[in-house]
Amino acid sequence: MNCRRLQDLLSAYLEGELGPAGVAECDAHLRTCPDCASLMSAAREIRRSLSGFPELEASPSLLLKLRGLPEKSKKARFRLDFLVKPSLQPVYAAATVLLVIISFYAFNAQNRRAVNKAVSRQFHIGCGRVEKLLARAEGITDGMGAYRDDLLDSLKSFQLLRKKGE
Amino acid sequence: MLVNSYSKKIFNMAYQFTGSYEQAEDATQEIFIKLFHSLRKFDFDRNFTAWLLTMTKNHLIDDYRRTRRERTQRDDYDEHYLCASPAENPENRLFREEERKKIWEKLDLLSPELRMTLILRDIQGRSYEEIAGIMSLPLGTVKSRVNRARLQLAGLLRPDQKGDKA
Repeated sequence: MNCRRLQDLLSAYLEGELGPAGVAECDAHLRTCPDCASLMSAAREIRRSLSGFPELEASPSLLLKLRGLPEKSKKARFRLDFLVKPSLQPVYAAATVLLVIISFYAFNAQNRRAVNKAVSRQFHIGCGRVEKLLARAEGITDGMGAYRDDLLDSLKSFQLLRKKGE
Repeated sequence: MLVNSYSKKIFNMAYQFTGSYEQAEDATQEIFIKLFHSLRKFDFDRNFTAWLLTMTKNHLIDDYRRTRRERTQRDDYDEHYLCASPAENPENRLFREEERKKIWEKLDLLSPELRMTLILRDIQGRSYEEIAGIMSLPLGTVKSRVNRARLQLAGLLRPDQKGDKA
């Protein structure tokens, strides 16, 4: 047994984990080595002193703060829960698409001009189509009026013929 | 309920580790905030106390590394512990208090890992298996760390003050 070996076995010796042969070997070394004997004695005292180390009570102010934490946590979670509701997912998706479109429009001057031109052309085309549709609708209305007049005339003639026959 | 059951345990562990009452209170609050945020992730097949102590250990060691430069001295032992000492006979008590005071002052000279292992083993009286679970280390490594912590502290505290021979 040398000093290094005794230091390796210090805790096992203190905690009674060594067999009788190991204990006898350590005791023999401790009798002949004052350095190791002093180290062992200090380690034994440390262990005894630490085992009865006093425990402190947490201060009332700390306890008060700790008890308030779950409430704070719940409030924060409620706000977050509201924002991450699954029902809001389509709204976020639509908003993202809209923002992408706006960003393309707002941050690119060339595109903006092209978009303005395209929108204006489409608007005029749309107006032209509506005008054509209205004109066709008027034509159809006139046609329907003529048919109605013809029909009324035919009915009148038919009634006259019936009277003559009677 | 969590606050009532665990605040004292966490606060004492933080105070023993940091040596500062103010820092221990701050750390306890931060640990409870982390706890309330990660409760949903807790796997109920695991031991809750061990899980919480692992979280506490991680927080204390990380915080120690982060704030090393701002660190001040440990509080004076008598400031909080003198009135909280367990009942012992007066002669023994005087001797033990002197020993505890010396140990308290030297605890900061141990590395954070060794200090934490010693606190868990000798102050809190936990088994090596429990410590291995809390520190996420193999059993042999825990035993070796406890031995090294005792040796270093004994080297610092023995009457001739020669230091550890290893």
